[in-house]
Amino acid sequence: MIVFDNVSFEYTAVNADGITEYKNGINGLDLTVRDGEFVVLTGSSGCGKTTVTRLINGLIPHYYSGKLEGSVTIDGKSVPDTPIYETAKKVGSVFQDPRSQFFNVNTTDEIAFAAENRCIPPERIKSLIDSTAAEMQLAHLLDRSIFGLSGGEKQLVACAGINVLSPDIIVLDEPSSNLDSGAVEKLKAVLGAWKSQGKTIIIAEHRLYFLRDLADRMLIFENGRVVRELDSAAVSALSYAETDSLGIRPMSLSDIPQCSRLNNRRAEVISFENFCFTYKDGKHGINIPKLELPAGGIVAVIGKNGAGKSTLARNICGLEKKCRGVMTLDGKPLNAKQRLNNCYMIMQDVNHQLFTESVRDEVMLSMTDKTVTDDVKSAKADEILLQLDLARFADTHPMALSGGQKQRTAIASGIASDKSVIIFDEPTSGLDLAHMKQVAAEITKLHEMGKTILIVTHDLEFIMACCDHVLMLEQGSVVRNYPLTAETSGMLKSFFMNA
Amino acid sequence: MQVGFQGNTKNTVFDPDPRAKLAMLLAVNIIMISGGSAGVELVLRIICAALPFVLLVSVRHYRTAVIYLAAMGAAVFGESCILPHTSGIAGILVLIPCGILTRFMAGYMMCWYTVRSISVSEFVTAMEKMHVPYFITIPMSVMFRYFPTLGEEYHAVSDAMKMRQIGRTVKDPLTYIEYVLVPIMMSTVRIADELSAASLTKGLSAGGRRTHICEIKLTLADLFIIAGSAVMIVLFFVY
Amino acid sequence: MKEKFEVKELINVGVFTALYFVVVFVTCFIGMVPICMVLIPLIIPIVAGIPLMLFFSKIKRFGMFTISGVLFGLIMFLLGSYSWVIILTCVVSAFLADLVLMSGKYSSVKCCVAASSVYSLWGIGTFISLFFGFREEYLNSIVDGYGQEYVDKLASYTPAWMFFVMAAMCLVGGFIGGVLGTKVLNKHFRKAGMA
Repeated sequence: MIVFDNVSFEYTAVNADGITEYKNGINGLDLTVRDGEFVVLTGSSGCGKTTVTRLINGLIPHYYSGKLEGSVTIDGKSVPDTPIYETAKKVGSVFQDPRSQFFNVNTTDEIAFAAENRCIPPERIKSLIDSTAAEMQLAHLLDRSIFGLSGGEKQLVACAGINVLSPDIIVLDEPSSNLDSGAVEKLKAVLGAWKSQGKTIIIAEHRLYFLRDLADRMLIFENGRVVRELDSAAVSALSYAETDSLGIRPMSLSDIPQCSRLNNRRAEVISFENFCFTYKDGKHGINIPKLELPAGGIVAVIGKNGAGKSTLARNICGLEKKCRGVMTLDGKPLNAKQRLNNCYMIMQDVNHQLFTESVRDEVMLSMTDKTVTDDVKSAKADEILLQLDLARFADTHPMALSGGQKQRTAIASGIASDKSVIIFDEPTSGLDLAHMKQVAAEITKLHEMGKTILIVTHDLEFIMACCDHVLMLEQGSVVRNYPLTAETSGMLKSFFMNA
Repeated sequence: MQVGFQGNTKNTVFDPDPRAKLAMLLAVNIIMISGGSAGVELVLRIICAALPFVLLVSVRHYRTAVIYLAAMGAAVFGESCILPHTSGIAGILVLIPCGILTRFMAGYMMCWYTVRSISVSEFVTAMEKMHVPYFITIPMSVMFRYFPTLGEEYHAVSDAMKMRQIGRTVKDPLTYIEYVLVPIMMSTVRIADELSAASLTKGLSAGGRRTHICEIKLTLADLFIIAGSAVMIVLFFVY
Repeated sequence: MKEKFEVKELINVGVFTALYFVVVFVTCFIGMVPICMVLIPLIIPIVAGIPLMLFFSKIKRFGMFTISGVLFGLIMFLLGSYSWVIILTCVVSAFLADLVLMSGKYSSVKCCVAASSVYSLWGIGTFISLFFGFREEYLNSIVDGYGQEYVDKLASYTPAWMFFVMAAMCLVGGFIGGVLGTKVLNKHFRKAGMA
């Protein structure tokens, strides 16, 4: 049993002026989680749900420092007073970003890692790994480099590492953020198995539909407090309108409505010819002899993991020099090198594409026309920032912004570069409802500016909120290419629901 | 980015213990780089020059082995047969490449072999068996794990730079370096934070005892190799 | 070292040593252009000084940097295929840099720059064997084959004072790198609240 008794926590952070300040944690939380219960924590970013998971696995106060009041106990033992390696024997943790939660390069080593730290004899660990592999059907993932795995496979390996030790309590912090719908189903199966083994599971998540049948209880957080508590019957009864008004993601994919926006479609098309490209490993790649997409459209690029969505995006941007494909835009044929000047991609991890020391400089860096003076550039930059609600951050360092603001900064520099095709790679992974809607609104703005937008995404709700065209890939080829209308939305949904 | 151990010993005929490989590496490195070419030292040098060839054949890298042998043969031939008949600039032109090849190539091939035939876990286990303390082995594992991540990060940053034509608009090399390094450094800080948190929840504690599923054992042959390497190093320093 | 190292400190040592090594390695390749060759001992510490200063800002305890030196020496030996002397120079210069950092209580910017300069002396390990150790033996051993005149000529190409020039280049490069690194730290990391 996990008991929170009037727990408050604030993180210490040092701001840009070197002053220590306290930031959002949780506020006066009382919570009792019974053994074997499956609890879902949700709410907008920064609402305190992640803080709860960290209080359970002991990262607060042993790793993240701040002001802690009240008591957190597991089976009567105080977590803050127990060394974290002792708590680790009882509580297993899965994190959001698979890139940074692995200590080892080899998957088998990673699965064994926690067991090794507990000094379990090697023979015993090996037999535990074998039984876990059989149970979770992941023998094909053993003894591989983690760098060759997809996000979903990495998350499975992380779960396997926990399964080996079979702790009583498992906390997961947004585990589905980087997963496609197929991988989400696998994660759901793992969670279901754990639940049936009687484990206590606490999961902080934005994406909720896969937890509908599993949740015994759902807590909605706001500003560090629980504002709604729902039991399992209430959770599965939540309709789209109700979740929307609660500010959380839908509980089911089937009743997501479509925002109609097929009004101002242009007649022109962008055509792609001979987009064939294979990676060095000879297995993955794309093979698209001919493709036409609506100019000025908002195109959702969907497909299973490894279907070639990101490869297509990279090729359209001109990032693969070897690609011989030609894209015809406004009657002009463009090769890979020329496409670099016409296309812009907002990457999934926007941290990689922000270089300068202020948001304004970042936008000005994209204005490559040397005949324009810096004053003109600066004025134009401020104008763009105003449009994207970033004006008050013009002098802030991009890295000091929140994730959504960073993404808007990247969009702003895309606008500044005057490129007509803008590609988004998973823009809503790990976003709450409000932020997802904000991204949809930004994309609508880009659309109004006349940009053609391609969005690689796994987020059905997001597609329904802003896209007007769907391109579906399978094994590197185009299998479907259709405008998104009331008639075709069923086809789109069936892809996501039958994954 | 091809940095770090990529142990792949599936096709190996003869796979010595990592400790034996390291002993050979040390012996070859010391003797080839600073050894003379007379008496006992000549014998030692011949053994050390032959070692990489044998080991490369043992991991079925036949082409590399043959190229090594040919290059080594040519360099030795150049040093001993052509050089005495040349003088002045021509001599320098022969001496420098041949000298570099005969001295460094064997060591380089040994490194190549060692890195490709030991996996990270074998290496770390070997370290632990040699009683290297935790404050070396833990950062060492992290370092090897971080090399490929750095490669991924670099590719992402360089793509972003290409897309924004930074290579074309930024001419100042220092600014260019800043643009490459700063995003990577930011990621490094973040990944180190998250990795530390994840490792703590998996029960990693500094100085705590731990077991290892990767098992390595010294066979008689390994002991023989280690002893042999030690004898060679001792002989080399005595003479 | 009274207390044990924390996991986070050890992980920081791991990732930053990896970053430092890769920066050195890549700069080395770029510096292989013939004209730059002579300047390598100067250029490498300048570029590598930038991530090094970020690393220094994370160090709060004696010994962390010495560990980094041990790892860096080992990896230079294994992957850079330098003479085993490199391990020695890396460890010694890291230890000295660690002392310099400690004298500034791990917060003095001046000491960080000085430590960057001192640490750059590991570079000596890459070229020391060209000047000392085997040089005399080597020259003597080839007298029979090539003749004294030839050997003298060869010796004149690698005069001993060049060694000190190159060592000085390391020190200066490390200093410049430290200053640049401090600038980058102030410009980006402090402003973003990350250091």
